[in-house]
Amino acid sequence: MISNLIITFIYLGLMFVAGILFSRNIKNTADYFLAGRSVPWYWIMGAVWATNIGFLHGYLAHGGAAYEWGLIQANFEWFQGPFGYILTGIFFIAFYWRAGIYTVPQFLERRYGSALRTIYSFAWIIIFIVTIAAELYLGGMFLKNIIHLAFWPSVFILTFVVGTYMLLGGLGAAIMMEFVQFIIMMLGTMPLIFILLNMVGGFTGLKEIMLSQWAVSPQYFSVLPDIHHPYGPGPWIILGQCMVVTIGWCAGHQSMVQRNLGARSLYDAKLGYVVAAIPKTLGAFLYSVPMIMAPIIFSRLGIFVEKSDAAYGKLITNLLPPGMLGLFIAGLLSAGLSSIGSVLNSASTMLVKDFYEKFLVKGKSDHHYFIAGRVATFLVIVVSLLLVPVVLKVYLIMWLEQTLLAMALGPFMAVLVLAIFWKRANTQGSLVGFLTGGIFAIMLQQVFHVNVFFQISWWSFVVSLATTVIVSLCTPPPLPVKTEGITWESNFEKLVGQIAEKRVEQFALKTEELKPQARIITRPAWYLNLKYWATAVLLIQLLLLIYFG
Amino acid sequence: MKNHKYSLFLSIFLLFSSVLYSQERFIDVRQKMADALTQVKNDALLANWSKVETSLAEVENIWLTEVKPMITEEVKKDSQYQEYLNRLEEVEMNLNRLKETLKSRDQDKMETLVNATIWAISHHPRGFKVPPPRYSIWDWVFALTIGLGFCFLAIWFGLYLRRSYYRRFPKGITVQRSKP
Repeated sequence: MISNLIITFIYLGLMFVAGILFSRNIKNTADYFLAGRSVPWYWIMGAVWATNIGFLHGYLAHGGAAYEWGLIQANFEWFQGPFGYILTGIFFIAFYWRAGIYTVPQFLERRYGSALRTIYSFAWIIIFIVTIAAELYLGGMFLKNIIHLAFWPSVFILTFVVGTYMLLGGLGAAIMMEFVQFIIMMLGTMPLIFILLNMVGGFTGLKEIMLSQWAVSPQYFSVLPDIHHPYGPGPWIILGQCMVVTIGWCAGHQSMVQRNLGARSLYDAKLGYVVAAIPKTLGAFLYSVPMIMAPIIFSRLGIFVEKSDAAYGKLITNLLPPGMLGLFIAGLLSAGLSSIGSVLNSASTMLVKDFYEKFLVKGKSDHHYFIAGRVATFLVIVVSLLLVPVVLKVYLIMWLEQTLLAMALGPFMAVLVLAIFWKRANTQGSLVGFLTGGIFAIMLQQVFHVNVFFQISWWSFVVSLATTVIVSLCTPPPLPVKTEGITWESNFEKLVGQIAEKRVEQFALKTEELKPQARIITRPAWYLNLKYWATAVLLIQLLLLIYFG
Repeated sequence: MKNHKYSLFLSIFLLFSSVLYSQERFIDVRQKMADALTQVKNDALLANWSKVETSLAEVENIWLTEVKPMITEEVKKDSQYQEYLNRLEEVEMNLNRLKETLKSRDQDKMETLVNATIWAISHHPRGFKVPPPRYSIWDWVFALTIGLGFCFLAIWFGLYLRRSYYRRFPKGITVQRSKP
């Protein structure tokens, strides 16, 4: 236990120092919010994956949901997640990146006007605050289980460390820590699944014990269960989660998009996103698959589990040997802290860029907004801390977070898709559509008690899409300035030939005069080709679905 | 008026925090019982039977004075306690068996029973109780619509991309590979 504690505290200390070191290089808001737009694709890959993996997304909450409902949870990693990464990387990122924006709402403002931007930012800031509260709760519970510290002191330690390093370091610190965490977690968490499989006699042995001895439902082992499943009906997973929430998450979650906006080039941004789908797929083997074996281990060894969200912490503390456990704790803490850090950074970015700079204090110096960013970071973490007791009551954190996301991302996807692919969509339509979809989603959950969040996201998307189309057609079309350069049609040529076009311009001068028919296009090396990576990911997904579906 | 607002806020907060407190306390008392049960197991493995007897008495005391009353009371307010109410008999049966086993001093049986009791006061996955799959006509309608629709969309979009690409960069252009 002492060795684990030493490793844990050394790691927390290093994070603290990293924040201070990064703070020296920060001179303006672009450095603080977008890491000076200098990040290469492999850092983006690690950071995107690590942003997506933390206490909440991944280990504790995903692991908890896998313990609660079975292999269905793996569809986040094997099915919808990589799909969302690829689609966003190939199609959506280019629109944001070219616009030279800091936040997703800025894109919505350019296309639809400032009202939608404000509403959208407001919705996300609420989600971010709840997310941070949930992360702090899970982290506190994890620390309580592994180092036997009381719950509230654990939460305060986490808050202090993450708050300090984010206040000082900005996005640069976040990306650096995420990349380190990506390496640590892969090394530290992979052995768990082999230990567990060995204990239960492989996947076949596990199924045999659960199905024959425990009389567990076969749907516990299904990634896409039938339509009657109370947590995730298969068809609704495809419609609501795969088609709406995941793409909306990848293309609309400020933390995810912000990593790409910090890239050194558009190609780096796109490639980083697409390649991140590979470790995302592996993620299920780190937390979802181990957790479906957990009930057998708990009952065999007499390990007490108070809640699903605490199950992962219990599993590793009782199974891993001390040295490896220390590494695991460091990996998990880094995952959780970087995840909180990235959300914190995004929330403060939105608060400053979309509210403070826009409504409260206009036209001040860059340094002024940079200081405001730090104050906003502090405020967000304090409010989140106050919300932790409320989160404590929720039976499954995953459900709370996904329901909130479904309410926001259904309407968002509708207006985003129309913003890019339909030039006729206008300000009035998008505003009415977004609000109608959002209100409809809240009504579905609160009035009609629809608790399957996949259904909420799908129906709010459909309602929002239809309303936006109808209202847009009933009102005047948008001015050309609103659509120029940021819709599919006006941006398509650049998007398709982005690499080619750049190279053509370079080589055309040399070759065109001599040989107009033999211009040279330079493409990236095969191992950096987006298409190959995307195809490889989709093939892996297909194989996993065939085996586990 | 201002003070009135504050007192209203405070009373709502206190009411809410009492519910939250019960959740946290329920975790703590079960953890306490699980720790005491683990102590029984450890003492039994060391064949320290007098200590086993004391630990078991402590377990029973925690069960009767803290865990069981909380379950029976809180289930009236919060459905999350229902699963534990359903397992009350199982826990009590295990505790009785433990007392019987203590007389026979069977270490293996003792360990098995302690583990079973800890598992009985733990949270069990809800996925265990999901009914077996019943793939209805709607599953097939959804699957076919989504599957075929997606394939159709992918093919159409692929062809659209290809056409647009070659419109801008006609065939015959030499492609040179290099790092970006």
